[in-house]
Amino acid sequence: MSSKLSDWFKERLGLDDLPFFKTPDYMYKVDYWLGALVASAFIYTVITGLILLLYYNAQAGYNSTEFVINSVPYGSVVLYSHLYGAYAMIILAYVHMFRNYFAGAYKKPRELLWIIGVIMLVLTLGTAFLGYSLIGDALATSAVDVGEGIISSIPGLSIFIPLLFGNYDAGDYGRVLAWHIIFTALIGLLFVFHFFMAEHYGMMPSRKVKDKVPAVYTKEEWQKFNPWWPRNFVYMMSLVFLSWGFILIIPNALAYLNGLPQQLNPFLNPKPAPPPNSPAAAHITTYPPWFFLFLYKIADFTSDVLIFLFIGVIIPLIYLILVPFLDRTEYLHPLKRKVFVGIGILMATYLIQTTIWGDLTPGVEIPVGQQVLVYLPPAIIVALGLTAIKPRTDNKGNIKGTISPITVLAFVLASSLFVIAGIELLANPTILTVGIFIPLAGIFVLTTKKIAPIALKAEQKSENMAISEERVPEWKKKLAEGLVAVLFIYAVVLAAQIWTIPATGYFSNLFGVDLGLIFLMLGEGISLYHYVVYRK
Amino acid sequence: MIRFKSDKEDKPILDYSNLTFIRKLTRKMRDPKTKFDTKEFINRGEDYLFNYTNKNVGSVDEKRRKFLKSLIFGIAAAAVVGVIPGLKVLVPPTVTVTSGFPKSLLVDSSGNPIKASQIPVNSPFIVIFEYPMTGEPNFLINLGDSSGKPVEIPSTIVEVPQTGKTYTFPGGVGPNKSIVAYSAICQHLGCTPPYIHFYPPQYVGPSQLTASEPDQLTAAALLAAKQAKVPALIHCDCHGSTYDPYHGGSVLTGPTVRPLPAVVLEWDSSTDYLYAIGAVGVAAYPNGSNGVPTNNPNEDLSSSFGSPVGDKTTVQETENPFSS
Ligand code: FES
Repeated sequence: MSSKLSDWFKERLGLDDLPFFKTPDYMYKVDYWLGALVASAFIYTVITGLILLLYYNAQAGYNSTEFVINSVPYGSVVLYSHLYGAYAMIILAYVHMFRNYFAGAYKKPRELLWIIGVIMLVLTLGTAFLGYSLIGDALATSAVDVGEGIISSIPGLSIFIPLLFGNYDAGDYGRVLAWHIIFTALIGLLFVFHFFMAEHYGMMPSRKVKDKVPAVYTKEEWQKFNPWWPRNFVYMMSLVFLSWGFILIIPNALAYLNGLPQQLNPFLNPKPAPPPNSPAAAHITTYPPWFFLFLYKIADFTSDVLIFLFIGVIIPLIYLILVPFLDRTEYLHPLKRKVFVGIGILMATYLIQTTIWGDLTPGVEIPVGQQVLVYLPPAIIVALGLTAIKPRTDNKGNIKGTISPITVLAFVLASSLFVIAGIELLANPTILTVGIFIPLAGIFVLTTKKIAPIALKAEQKSENMAISEERVPEWKKKLAEGLVAVLFIYAVVLAAQIWTIPATGYFSNLFGVDLGLIFLMLGEGISLYHYVVYRK
Repeated sequence: MIRFKSDKEDKPILDYSNLTFIRKLTRKMRDPKTKFDTKEFINRGEDYLFNYTNKNVGSVDEKRRKFLKSLIFGIAAAAVVGVIPGLKVLVPPTVTVTSGFPKSLLVDSSGNPIKASQIPVNSPFIVIFEYPMTGEPNFLINLGDSSGKPVEIPSTIVEVPQTGKTYTFPGGVGPNKSIVAYSAICQHLGCTPPYIHFYPPQYVGPSQLTASEPDQLTAAALLAAKQAKVPALIHCDCHGSTYDPYHGGSVLTGPTVRPLPAVVLEWDSSTDYLYAIGAVGVAAYPNGSNGVPTNNPNEDLSSSFGSPVGDKTTVQETENPFSS
């Protein structure tokens, strides 16, 4: 029955003839699907954004935000998850970008794909900034004020302020809302190009298959892979629902956290701050949204706006856009293009470092000496580390044993967090800093352990292993089948329970948590289905 | 299901899904497009058959696949069922009062009615109640002269400088006709307390010229108060707009071009209770149509944001700005 139905759709929609890339077995790993994750966060955010559009009144930004949260049925669920959908999109976009950077995915013939991706990142950050401003709370207005300040201090640019923000000071957010939507539409448009280009070139083949540019499968090669329908579709759906589940669960659970310390507020608090003209606004430290904390900190380094813009925005951006033309080597292996990999690691490290720094000391000016103290060590570590690691080759001259880019990112993140927590602990030893330091130290040790054996002595793995999937023993499939049944039972129980949650008020956020859990189960169920049915 | 009758028990030999599977397989084998290659089969044996069925008919494990599929569709159905209550988000909110102002009893934070004769005269505290919608604060002030004696506030004609139009302010209520209520949202750019608040007579003097925000007075405000011969003011520290509480909240100094809207109060002399029964003046900022203030005092009631306060509204003493 269902196969007849799917055949029907398959014929009507011509699914077999779609020019979509066919996927080899080894690519069904999340590494290769980061773009799909970004896209699903984007789609989620667009859907919830359209719902919010039904309620948001640009003439009364803060009031209508409060209205959505307090009076619209499940309004806070929609609003908070819209916010976190955007957060997820930003984080995933960074991960997606750095992963492809380290994998050399910007190289021939993917230069344009890469550049469009960078532009999309800029647009995403811009959209996020505008969306954040729409809340109209004290933080949002101060963020816009800072934005305005930056623009107006560049000679000749102040004419853009009314163009961009309209009559913002008078509480009219019409322009901000309009640009928020226009930017989103632009992202959508570029996404179409980005997506079809990616489908056209196909995903990056594993380095073990093709370690030189152009890293594409020929048409003859990829004709033999799994067709897009239904396996890719099934795998993609599992990713979509999993990410939607997290986007729903996290903010709605966080809504129940109260009285966070200031440092955690910008990262974990989905609720708006008090309105700018209220007495309470006087008592809050203003800080920008977390994704701009790094810029906020860089602004403390210099009083010259142009220098600030060059360091914080223009140079990194130009570098990212130009990198496909700067890195002309034909090798994809990270260790064969150490300079670029080094720059990449430093960019990621500095981004995280500066963000955390901005969070710890918002708006506090930093003398040059301290800046050097913070930014020099990672540079030295990376430079020494990269020169020390020699790519090992086997007798055929192929490079063996590699560290996955994700592991590198995790390592960089863990070590910078570790270093910062250490500095913070030395600077003011309190229970809080000790409490933060110990788990971070643990994580650092663990990631180092994971990376050390690979980095020190290249792993002995036969090349074919990674390419062909290992056969899955029957009992594992049986287990997966059982798990799907368990998930089904839980989903039904939760679905029944979800109807009893009040639509507004304190408990309404549980709806988001429960719905997110059901989405997780659906995603996990589909992923297990994929495992049982498609894995060999 | 085809059953094979043996002497001891029924033995199912072929259930329906197996039958369709075989039918499908044999059809594919005959189909010239996907012809089963017997030579290949002899060469490669089972492997070829396995691959062939996998490619043409689907996995041999059709039944298991179906079972799993039905479970997944079950979870998907649960997700749909779960989303349904969420669709309430699409139902537009109903605004119950669009025709007139509610009559609301002023009560204190524990729900007891406020007694008019017990409201302190010239209190420096910011005393606020929401009316007619939630989120729309109004000052409640018992006005007195510079020696602290209540002053009777007569009805006056108030002019809106922006349009040149006028309306009538009904005057004070209470045992001494000295109690008034004005919107606490500045008509200039919408600043709310503590930036805008009442300055009792002892704070209307040169010493406030150098006071810190939000208690500063501008020289223009002091001069205007003198000329109008009023001992006390409502002043907004954001940009210096000044209003005259003794004359219906009319404009003393700009930048505002609109007087403060007033809440019409009613005093029940038998119980000493106070009621808010309406409002006069331009609609409260910024909830008028498109944020452009109108002359229609009902305008903000048709706004879809905020809900009417109902038949009770709580009077709160938020803070004394001068003490900090
Ligand atoms: S908002 Fe009150 S004077 Fe400008």
